[in-house]
Amino acid sequence: MADIVSLREGLAELVSDGDLVAMEGFTHLIPVAAGQELIRQRRKDLTLARMTPDIVYDQLIGAGCARKLIFSWGGNPGVGSLHRFRDAVEHGWPAPLEIEEHSHAGMANRYVAGAAGLPFAVLRGYVGTDLPKHTENIKPIECPFTGEQLTAVPALNPDVTVVHAQRADSHGNVQLWGITGVQKEAVLAAKRSLVTVEEVVPELTPRAGAIVLPSWAVTAVAEVPGGARPSYAQDYYERANTSYQEWDAISRDRERFQEWLADQVYGAEVKS
Amino acid sequence: MVDKRMTGADVISRLRSGMTIGIGGWGSRRKPMSLVREILRSDLRDLTIVSYGGPDVGLLCAAGKVRKLVFGFVSLDSIALDPHFRATRQAGAIDVVELDEGMLQWGLYAAGLNLPFLPTRAGLGSDVLTHTPELRTVIDPYDGDELVAMPALPLDAAVVHMNRADEHGNAQFLGPDPYFDDLFCMAAEQAFVSCERIVPTAEFTEVAHPATLRISRMMVTGVVEAPGGARFTSCVPDYERDEELQREYAAAAADDEAWQAFAGRYLREALA
Repeated sequence: MADIVSLREGLAELVSDGDLVAMEGFTHLIPVAAGQELIRQRRKDLTLARMTPDIVYDQLIGAGCARKLIFSWGGNPGVGSLHRFRDAVEHGWPAPLEIEEHSHAGMANRYVAGAAGLPFAVLRGYVGTDLPKHTENIKPIECPFTGEQLTAVPALNPDVTVVHAQRADSHGNVQLWGITGVQKEAVLAAKRSLVTVEEVVPELTPRAGAIVLPSWAVTAVAEVPGGARPSYAQDYYERANTSYQEWDAISRDRERFQEWLADQVYGAEVKS
Repeated sequence: MVDKRMTGADVISRLRSGMTIGIGGWGSRRKPMSLVREILRSDLRDLTIVSYGGPDVGLLCAAGKVRKLVFGFVSLDSIALDPHFRATRQAGAIDVVELDEGMLQWGLYAAGLNLPFLPTRAGLGSDVLTHTPELRTVIDPYDGDELVAMPALPLDAAVVHMNRADEHGNAQFLGPDPYFDDLFCMAAEQAFVSCERIVPTAEFTEVAHPATLRISRMMVTGVVEAPGGARFTSCVPDYERDEELQREYAAAAADDEAWQAFAGRYLREALA
């Protein structure tokens, strides 16, 4: 059964230095407040997994929390490069960053295999790309019936998965809707999980297109209203496009980024 | 949107002898019996049937329609073994591929994904591999574990019975279990849904949770309104299994005279 916790207590309890942490949310419901709380707790040597690392991981990488990134696309969506990510890869600042690059379908299949308790997933993917040359854990596998060459990627089982959702009930059942991405699979594949939610309500009412993560599949739930800002939470708030645009200037310059960190993260109150 | 309503005769006109046909439902529960009876009355023969079998399998075997059966089990629930299927199998009259239930599910799922196989642990440590020599195993290219390679089970056609459908092919189950009807439809070139009642689309979610909409029009070729179409199997909450008729069906396996009497009474001129 999921515990209802504060964000600070929940992350302090669940995430240790060196863990493999997945923070998912595809454009929508990105757990930004949780990412900033990990920075505030000064976690180190994390391996960060995420299909689409955007500003949430740029911040963690720039703050020196990450040792490695497992991903399939990285960028500031609609704006350009992630400058903290580039600085880490190109100059090792503030720490070197190892990268493991996959395709979107490969990452999704890795979570699905992890959630199913299977050691690997099979897909038609990566063919005709250079990714297998650069990423060790993309291997060919032959169909024993047809002889067709397919691709096998290993299950991804995070130590901790963190996602954001619209609602939970007081028992810790979680409901999310809109673009649900791979959040369900990433939570089910993880050893431990924390879900930040817009609100805890007495009872979850059915909604078309919504999925429910049952309480027994979730370790902890923290009520963090606005926890996905500046991304959006459908039916709660819109995406703050200007924040993404402003991030470009903040993140281009090391000093300006460090001022932002001191002011907006280390100096800021924990949101919940 | 396309109006996909059709008759049972329309369904039969789209089937050919020698086809592989998947039948939804589970044991003696929510079987598309009216469409099975249409097949019994037709000239179709040499069929490969894929089913979590109940009286659908027994009837088709008794009528000599089956060349090969791919199955997870064949049971009448309240009568453990279907005597018609038993007699056919004991006579060695059909080819069989007897699978673990999870393997059958995985084969349908692989076909729906358009993959030639999927790895699974279901079937390991059992005699399934011994008795089904066409199965293969596959080695995990990362850790070297041996898993069963479950070949895709693509279907030429699927027939399923649901509680409600709309004229476009969206369909809803109102009982406790969706079984694997959606996987049968996804695995099939053509999927035919019979239902207790065709309703306006908006009515689905007025009466039940949106998760009961297990089958979408994207998966469906034709919709047949067939009130009582699952009888004598159950179709809760519309009706329970007709246990008396099921006992009569089982007793009809006693000898040819009993079968002819049963067939004459319930299947009309089906079985000369």
